[in-house]
Order: sequence, then structure tokens, then C-alpha cells
Amino acid sequence: MNRAGLSRLQMVLALAAGLTGLVGLVLSLPSLGAAPLLALFFALSTVSLARFVLPLTVWLDGALAVLAAIALLAGLTTGVTLPGHHWLALLAGWAFAWLFVERLAAAIRAGSLPETGTSLLIPTVFGLALLVIWEVVTRGANVPPVILPPPSAIGARFVTEIPILWADFVQTFVKSVLPGYAIGCLAGLGVAILVDRSPFLKAGIMPIGNFMSALPIIGIAPIMVMWFGFDWQSKAAVVVAMTFFPMLVNTVAGLNAASAIERDLMATYAASYRQTLLKLRLPAAAPFIFNALKINSTLALIGAIVAEFFGTPVVGMGFRISTGVGRLAIDLVWAEIAVAAIAGSAFYGVIALIERGVTFWHPSVRGGRA
Amino acid sequence: MNKLIGGLLVSALALAATPAFAQDALTLQLKWVTQAQFAGYLVAESKGFYDAENLDVTILPGGPNIAPEQVIAGGGADIIVTWMAAGMAARETGVPLVNIAQPFKRSGLMMICPTETGIKTAADFPGHTLGVWFFGNEYPFFAWMNKEGIATDGSEGGVTVLQQSFDIQPMIQGQADCISVMTYNEYGQALDAGYGPDNLTIFNYSEMGNDLLEDGLYVMEDTLADPAKVDAYTRFVKASMQGWAYALENPEEAAQIVVDMDETGAATLEHQLYMTGEVSKLVDATDPALDTATYERTVKALLDQKIIKAQPEGAYSTVVTDALK
Repeated sequence: MNRAGLSRLQMVLALAAGLTGLVGLVLSLPSLGAAPLLALFFALSTVSLARFVLPLTVWLDGALAVLAAIALLAGLTTGVTLPGHHWLALLAGWAFAWLFVERLAAAIRAGSLPETGTSLLIPTVFGLALLVIWEVVTRGANVPPVILPPPSAIGARFVTEIPILWADFVQTFVKSVLPGYAIGCLAGLGVAILVDRSPFLKAGIMPIGNFMSALPIIGIAPIMVMWFGFDWQSKAAVVVAMTFFPMLVNTVAGLNAASAIERDLMATYAASYRQTLLKLRLPAAAPFIFNALKINSTLALIGAIVAEFFGTPVVGMGFRISTGVGRLAIDLVWAEIAVAAIAGSAFYGVIALIERGVTFWHPSVRGGRA
Repeated sequence: MNKLIGGLLVSALALAATPAFAQDALTLQLKWVTQAQFAGYLVAESKGFYDAENLDVTILPGGPNIAPEQVIAGGGADIIVTWMAAGMAARETGVPLVNIAQPFKRSGLMMICPTETGIKTAADFPGHTLGVWFFGNEYPFFAWMNKEGIATDGSEGGVTVLQQSFDIQPMIQGQADCISVMTYNEYGQALDAGYGPDNLTIFNYSEMGNDLLEDGLYVMEDTLADPAKVDAYTRFVKASMQGWAYALENPEEAAQIVVDMDETGAATLEHQLYMTGEVSKLVDATDPALDTATYERTVKALLDQKIIKAQPEGAYSTVVTDALK
């Protein structure tokens, strides 16, 4: 820590941001009046170099990053590549955003800012910065929209196509993913309990299970379409095939998690197999089972989307993604990808929340607290 | 030592044999996998017709997940083979494609229905499931349904549309009542599977007047401002038409060339020979020029079906085909 209260990385970032602003100020001097916001940003960035003598508040860095974003977005005009000093502003703005986040994190660690609320600010700033950079680079450098559309175009498409996106979501997520996920996971759990009881099944099924789980989905999908038809049933079948084995393998491992001494205790209580299973071994296996549920939540969505590439009724996320590329409606494809990402994260999040409630006793959940 | 001198001599000779001027490099992106649908280009490459025009042509095969319009927009090709509906739709989304030649004069697209479905005319379609290829190949079907006034959005009294695989499986398995076929490809599979005019109702897009122009040659609009590029395109089209003429006169040799040039090894001689024969009914090897009347009809169908919103301006250029006359 030096006098300004900055770490080494923060010093480098502060210097880079300030100096880039200074260079930008010099370069934009001839055309200063044309973009007043940008000029203001450059001037303030240069002033921020004063932080090496005077302490400056962390919020100033945040405000400068926001100002840079506004100035850059305001400077975008269609069909014209941005002049050089705009790109300097992008660099400086990114440096200010980074510095802001670094200083926020340091302040939270030091206890001078409350953790609740401020810790949410960090991923928000990071995400917004990525979106601004994407927008400025695609539009500012005139990247053809069929290669990469700007996020604003994707957002506009998202809003206007909500009925289509919703129909695709229902077809893929509600009709294919959820039933397939439920059947695959329940079947994996049931077979794992059977396998656990029977050494014959264990020796027979486990190697085949490992073999089947290595089968590529693009190999199974066309076969499932042939067996179960073009509608959601074949997609659900692909999801079952994809989710069954992770569940089986994890549950079998989890059922062995209860230690010998705990099983001995149950035996001294004269507990039946059923009681031991329900009261000791399944709860002990819960972290493993939830692990499989979480892995499967994302696998199921991928499986259903890819399976839709091999023939569908004309609705579904996979259908829209594959045909959207063919029609060069790349912004619609990105909107569909956004839906998939939101649905996948929400699904994963719900399962993680249930896990917290169920495995409250596990060290990873109680965070070392007794 | 002798070997070294010999080697040097050989390389010197090889160097001397190379033309003093560089060949113009052109990349052609095909619409589909290497097959006799593109026999003209493959034969021209194999028989050295492009070399004779001082062109160094690279032919890229397509496939189910390759959109030629996207390849050319990304700078991956100079010329693409695509269908006019897909080309015009891409033009409106910001890829300024221009048709420079149209070797395919007729459409090879058909819809076939086994007679046991009871479908005899398009009026029998409502309530049935129809297989359609997407990825830019769906436009002629939707234009036809629009003309017939048949709903395709799943509403009452309309048809159910199915995204079809690139074979005749959906018809054999009864998942679709009617499927899309190309005369030169999947229709042959249907014939092999025991189907034919006796037990099929055939809707031929060309005969119904619903054909939209298929395999044409498209380039990016800005390259037409460069006379050197236009000159290279002209020589390319000239050599390609030579290739088509040769392929149509020597179908067996052309089929063998196609099989040899298919790096995936999926093409069989028998099927490629069938395809060459069928393609010869669609291609006019003597005239690569775009027929403006068919162009106008295609554009009208696309406008009627709202596939494109505005009348395209400068979407075709006769500069290349005029130079060949």
C-alpha cells in the first residue's frame, strides 16, 4: 500500500486509465467540440491522475466508467468506423471499471463497505462492461451483423419475438427437458439402489453404464428420432439417455459414502435394510445425488437442443438455432441462446437451492460452522 | 551427389514450367456436399478448364450445417452456389449478394405423397403432416402454400410442417404423409425403395409453376466494381459452362469425377450417374444467363410470402453473362 491507499495492481490500473485519458485528450483536441461527453471523460480521467497525491473515493472510478460507457454509446453512428480516440476511451473506460471493481472488493475485505449489496455490484459491473464493449466493438468497427450482431439488436429481437421464444421454450424445456430429466434421474437412482443390493448387477451394469455414458449425443439423437418420432418424445428420450448414467454412477458412489462404523451402529440397533437405506445411506449419498442432479440440469438442456437439430416439428430452441443460422437471422439465434442460458442457469440455481435445504448438515453448506 | 544435382535440375525444370504470371485465385462454396448436382464445377476443375482460363479455383463442399451466404459474408468464399430465395433473403439481412449466372433453369424440387395417404391434389393437404427442409430451403414450400391459401402455423384447417431429414426416412416410417425430394437425389432413393409414379402422388414445383430459381452463382456486390474481379468471374463462368457441357455429354465420366473428388467417400458411382442424368434436365449448358421473367416471378413469390419486404434493386447483374455472348 502506498500513500493513496492503492495496491500494486490498482496503481497500474489507475496509471493506465489516467494516461490513456491524457493521450485521448491530446488526440481529440482538434475535434473537441464534436463529442462533448467524450471530451469531459478525457478531461476527468486526466484529473484522476491526482489520486497519487490526494486520496480519491472509489465511487469516482465507478462514475468515470459509467461516463465512458455513455460517451461511447452516444458516439456510435451506423455505417461509420469510430475514430482512434474513441478506442482509447474504450480502453480507459475498461481500466476504470476494473479499478472500480478491484477497489470495491478490497473495501469489502477491509470491512469499510457492507458485503450485502456491494458484492452484487461487482458481477453487475463486470457483465455490463462486457455488454458495452461488445456493443461498441461490433458497431464501432462495423462488424457485419451476420458475423456478430450487437447486443442491442439481440435485445430488440428478443423483445419483438417473445411469442416465438416462449413457444420454443415450452417445446424444448417444458415438454422435452423436464420429463426426460425426471425419468432419467429417477431411473438412475432406482437402478443404483438395485445395483447396490446385487453384486451381479453391479458387475454387469456398471461397465456398460460407463460405456453408454461415453456415447456421443449426435450418434444417439438420429436413432431416437427414428424410434420415437419427430416430436418431443424423441428429445425426452435423448435426455433420459444422457442423464441416466451420471445419476447411476454418482449414486452408486454415494451409497458407499456411509462409513463402516455408522453401518455397524445401525446393525446394533437391529435396523432393517430399508431403515438403514432411508435413514443412513441415502442421506449420506445426498451430496453425490445432488451433484448428479446439477450436472444433469445442464446436460439435459444441451441434449434436447442438439437432438432438435435432427428433425422436429417446426418449433423448439434447437430448431430455431439451426434454421436461424441458415436464414442468417443471427440476432434471433443469439436471442435463443440467451433464453437457453437463462433457463439453464435458473434450473441449476433451483437445484442448488434445494440442495442447500436438504444437505444442511454437510460441511460444504454449513461453511465449517458447527 | 548425383542425386542432389538431379534433384536440383528437376526443381529448376519445375520452376521453369510454372507460368510466369500468377493465376487468379477464386474460392467456390457449394450449397451441398460434393455430388453431381455440382458436376459442372467439379468436371471443370478436374479436366483443367479453370487452369486453361488461368484460374486457381478452390471448391469447398457444403453440408447440412453450412450456409453459403454466411461463408461469403465472412470472407470465406468469392462465389457461392445457392438458391435465389435464400440469396435474396440474405441480401435483405445485409449480405449484398448479386446473381451473376444461372446455369439451373428449372427446379428439381418435388413433394411426393404415397397414394395410400389419399392425397391427390394440394386441396387434400389440410390435416396432413408435410416434411420440409429448412436452412434456407423452405422458401419455395411456404410460397406454394401461401399461393394455395393453406395455413402452416398449426391452426385449424392447415397443415403440420415437419423439419425433415435429408433422406426419405420420414415417408418410409410414416412420420410425414408427404416429403420433399429433389428429382436428382432423394427421388432416386424413393425409386430404389420401391416407390414410383404408380404409388406416389407427385407435385413437381416446376410443372406447377411454383419453382423458385435454384442453384445460381452469387458474388458480393462490391466486388463487381473491380474490373479485374469481373474478368475473373467471366472466365470462371465460361470454364464452368464448359464443365457442364462436358458433364452432360459424358455422364459416366462426370459421375466418376464426382466420386473421385468426394473426399468423404460417401458418393457412389451408381447414384451419381443417376444424379447426372436428372441434373441434365435442369441445366442449360449453353446459356448461363438469368432469365429475367423467371427472376421476376421468383421475386414476386418472395414478396407475396413476405420472405423479403422490399423489391430488390441490383440483385442480379448481366455483366458476366453479357461478356460471354
